[in-house]
Amino acid sequence: MTIEFKKNQVFFKNEVGVEEAELLLEWLQKKTAPKADFSACTHLHAANLQVLMATTLTITAWPVDETLTVWLQSALGVS
Amino acid sequence: MAKTILIVDDSATMLMSVKSNLEMNGFKVETASDGVQALNKLKSGTKPDLIITDINMPNMGGLELIQNVRALPGFRFVPILTLTTESQAAKRDEGKKLGATGWLVKPIDGADLIKVIKQVVPGA
Amino acid sequence: MNPLLQQFLSEARDFLQGIGEKLMQLEKAPTDASLMTELFRYVHTLKGNSGLFEFPEMTRVLHAGEDLLDAVRNGRVRYSQELADRLLDAMDFVGMLCDEIEQNGAIGAVYANDSARLGESLRKLNVSAHHPVEDKANHSDNPVETTENLTSAPARPETAIPVEPPPAALADIPEALRMKAYAIAQAGTPLCWLVYTPDEQCFFQGQDPFFLARQTPEFLWGGIVSREDWPKLAEMDAYRCLLDFHLLTSAPHTTLDEHFRYVADQIKIQPLSPLSFIIPVGDTNGGPVYEDFVGDALEFLETGNFGGLERAALTMLELSSPDLWFSSALRWLLLVLEHDPDNRPVLSGIVESLRNLDQPEWLDLQSQWQDQTVLTPTIPAAVSIESTETALPSGIVSLSSIDDFVLSLLAIQRQILLLPITESWQLGRIKSVAATLQGCLKAIGEFDQLASLAFAAEQSLVQSAAVPLLSWLDEQFHMPGKMAVQPLGSQSIEPSKPAETVETQPAKTAVAHEISTTADIDGEIKFGRRAEDVTAVGAKSLKVDQAKIDRLMNLIGEMVVSKNALPYLAGRAEAVFGVRDLSREIKAQYAVINRIAEEMQDAIMQVRMMPVSFVFQRFPRLVRDTARKLGKDINLIMEGEDTEADKNIIESLGDPLIHIVRNSLDHGFELPEIRRAIGKPMVGTLIIRATQESDRVIIEIIDDGKGIDPEVIKRKAYEKGILDEMALERISDQEAVNLVFAPGFSTADVISDLSGRGVGMDVVKTAIEKVNGAISLVSEKGKGTKIQLSLPLSMAVTNVMIIESDGQLFGIPMDSVVETVRVPRADIRMIKHSLATVLRGRIVPLKPINTLLEISAPPLANDDDELAVLVVRLGEESVGLLVDDFRETVDIILKPMSGVLAQISAYAGSALLGDGSVLMVLNIKEMF
Repeated sequence: MTIEFKKNQVFFKNEVGVEEAELLLEWLQKKTAPKADFSACTHLHAANLQVLMATTLTITAWPVDETLTVWLQSALGVS
Repeated sequence: MAKTILIVDDSATMLMSVKSNLEMNGFKVETASDGVQALNKLKSGTKPDLIITDINMPNMGGLELIQNVRALPGFRFVPILTLTTESQAAKRDEGKKLGATGWLVKPIDGADLIKVIKQVVPGA
Repeated sequence: MNPLLQQFLSEARDFLQGIGEKLMQLEKAPTDASLMTELFRYVHTLKGNSGLFEFPEMTRVLHAGEDLLDAVRNGRVRYSQELADRLLDAMDFVGMLCDEIEQNGAIGAVYANDSARLGESLRKLNVSAHHPVEDKANHSDNPVETTENLTSAPARPETAIPVEPPPAALADIPEALRMKAYAIAQAGTPLCWLVYTPDEQCFFQGQDPFFLARQTPEFLWGGIVSREDWPKLAEMDAYRCLLDFHLLTSAPHTTLDEHFRYVADQIKIQPLSPLSFIIPVGDTNGGPVYEDFVGDALEFLETGNFGGLERAALTMLELSSPDLWFSSALRWLLLVLEHDPDNRPVLSGIVESLRNLDQPEWLDLQSQWQDQTVLTPTIPAAVSIESTETALPSGIVSLSSIDDFVLSLLAIQRQILLLPITESWQLGRIKSVAATLQGCLKAIGEFDQLASLAFAAEQSLVQSAAVPLLSWLDEQFHMPGKMAVQPLGSQSIEPSKPAETVETQPAKTAVAHEISTTADIDGEIKFGRRAEDVTAVGAKSLKVDQAKIDRLMNLIGEMVVSKNALPYLAGRAEAVFGVRDLSREIKAQYAVINRIAEEMQDAIMQVRMMPVSFVFQRFPRLVRDTARKLGKDINLIMEGEDTEADKNIIESLGDPLIHIVRNSLDHGFELPEIRRAIGKPMVGTLIIRATQESDRVIIEIIDDGKGIDPEVIKRKAYEKGILDEMALERISDQEAVNLVFAPGFSTADVISDLSGRGVGMDVVKTAIEKVNGAISLVSEKGKGTKIQLSLPLSMAVTNVMIIESDGQLFGIPMDSVVETVRVPRADIRMIKHSLATVLRGRIVPLKPINTLLEISAPPLANDDDELAVLVVRLGEESVGLLVDDFRETVDIILKPMSGVLAQISAYAGSALLGDGSVLMVLNIKEMF
């Protein structure tokens, strides 16, 4: 699985595909203060990205890939 | 993990050419000689990361295939490239309207093909 | 040969066959859309395949064929016989190229001219579609648009770029990055701002816009924003894309167009001046405090004291908090001082902005910058049409300022104008050319010439001739040398083009020579192959290598023979070693192996089975071409094409059938007028039918022509000395008709070029009999002729009787054996130097087999002094062969003789026996 849910936290791994966005959305709809860990993430499909952007999210770890981190930081409103 | 690509073309020559090129570049390749065969493959468990399909084929052509693929559960989002010739610009657009991601222009240059695949298949 | 090429050739032949068939079918149903679609698909795919290799001669012809068929398919061109003729010729040519490739691995240069001619002859029929570019070029408002593909991305409209304000989102880019960007841009690398607004439904097109954006070439910075306010999570649709992507890149425009070519309508690219990046940001507090600095700075600028300015700015920067807007502006000032110190307006602009902490106004400066860049527009990376390098005379319009794409457009327009105008509707071409030229003029900024163009175009339309517009074009751009870049126009109008390059080269083959000398663009183009030869080469290609199946066949043959050793072994186990149980077990095992071997043999035989369509498929073309040549109208009906028989049988059928069919067309059918005069339908009917009857394939060729007149045959036979006077009176009509099979008989009064190959029906008969077939002919004068061929389904297994003579074993095929008798030596007579005996009241001539085989030993009698006589059928007669002894009959797999032995017609072939010895099987008919 490229996406893993543990209690209040979601872990993204490798390339997170488009199909996962639905799962992610469903999960987020149920959580009040979700956290995300991108440390093992190399890419995530735009559908996942926009679901995250529509949520108030705490990021616990950014990706190793620096350019991806820059993108995500600009998208998720953190700098 | 090697990405799987399904090539659909009624020409065995074209299949052979694209297949050998892709396999040399580390892809897993499935082939089908028309739309019907391709759909059957998808229905029976083949889960490609990309579908490359010719337009003009007997039984079921590429455009019809695209529509059918998009209607299959689990294949709403799979990238699909049409195989067209230079003169088929209208078919490319039609293909895109029906759900294709993009197109390739025959004759396909091997390096171009890999470049395009890397562009539409994340992780390829 | 590499497997891909092999595959290509094999498939190409299938396609060529299919194309021929569809064309035939279309002649009967020219409006059948599905046939047309199929036909187009074949040509289209074949063309696509040929593009995988370097076969321009082939691709060119196929391309022309494809375009033509596309026009027919879309109703722009009407289907006609002439069209079919030219396409068939073109496909013959392609087939010949396939042969050439197969033999030599490449296409010889000698074919280039024929390829060009054929392509041209097809294009001539396709008057509505000259070139794909032409249609595109009609959009005069956007003259630099071209077909998008991997290599040639659309060129951007270079003209009249409105001065756009720099995008506000630029301010989102961190200052450090903007400063880096400024430095890059100032150093001469143009930067672009790209806004990518993906389609809301793009996920359902398999797109990942984020992935595409991330891969942007020469990417400097990227940002993602939502297009609208995010909906509540509970109402959100994860798969409606609401993202916008902002990108800063230093990639050239064309590279970006290529990267985003699948979403070309969703991106907007804006070139950025270096000034766009100069956006001071920060806390705007504490403004008026710096009034003094502004005054000093302006003075430094005026006096050109850059050093003083720099020092003052540095000092101020040290004193100020870095988060202030003021500090940010100072940093920019220092950066500009470093990279572009001579640009006083910019420097003073920044300084002025410090007065009231407003964003400096660059718009005016930017429009200057844009004007500069427009003067050196980027040329589209790949223009498909090359332009030749020639020195140009100075024209009214300076060519050096026109980019290559416009040049190629002009060249194409010129060639369109060169096409002959014969129909009034072709004037539309002039209009579209005029529109395109108008667009070109606008694109290169030559607005002054628009009026003269309009005048020339009007003249052309009034005169219904391209000349006025053409001379305007040549005068205006003065570049005829540069124009002739593509062989688009009619060659008859461009006599200066070197037409014959072939003549100077030694022709590669006789065939090639024939092509280069006899081909004529307007006349028929023939390629030294007859219609009936078209598939002959293709006939050799099985999808599975023939040798592999032959090997299987040989192996199963050996298997069948080897397994026969088991019963012997069982017998020995019992008789010699006295182990009865073992003997029984061996027999049981034998039964199993025997069954499997038989099934295997059957299965392999199935593989060798081919449908008769393999031979039949060439007839539609053969009948069509021949009938047209003879001026006859013939409807061909083929039935039972999927009837199967062994490959060898099918292959042996080809030549005899062609001969029969041609005979029928040539001599059987009357001319249409005659048919009408005698009350027959004008269109003759030729039926070729295959059926299976038990283990035989029956092929019938039935025509409703004039039939065979027995009286004519009799007279001819008499004249040729085949019949004597006595026989002439005795012979029945059917017997007379059968005389056409007699050697040296030909009924044609005039040997026509069609069936006059020096091959008579006797040769047909021999060929059919060679594969154990039989031929019969029934004819009724005035009504028609029916020829029936009866052939074995398979020649793989032959039932032979083994005979012994002079200590050797020989096999005689059972189907020619009538009976075996033992004749007392006393009953053998000598009649006219020949041996004979009387069997059941009939005289049977006797021949010692040793004599026939040139063995000197006399036949051996048995203990009762009886001689063994094997009575065999020889045509209508029976002949007794004197042999030493009879043996058993066996099923064998006959292997044809190969090498030098194949010349010895007395042997039909050889087979292996259970003990491993070789049995020679005799060909009785060839022995007498």
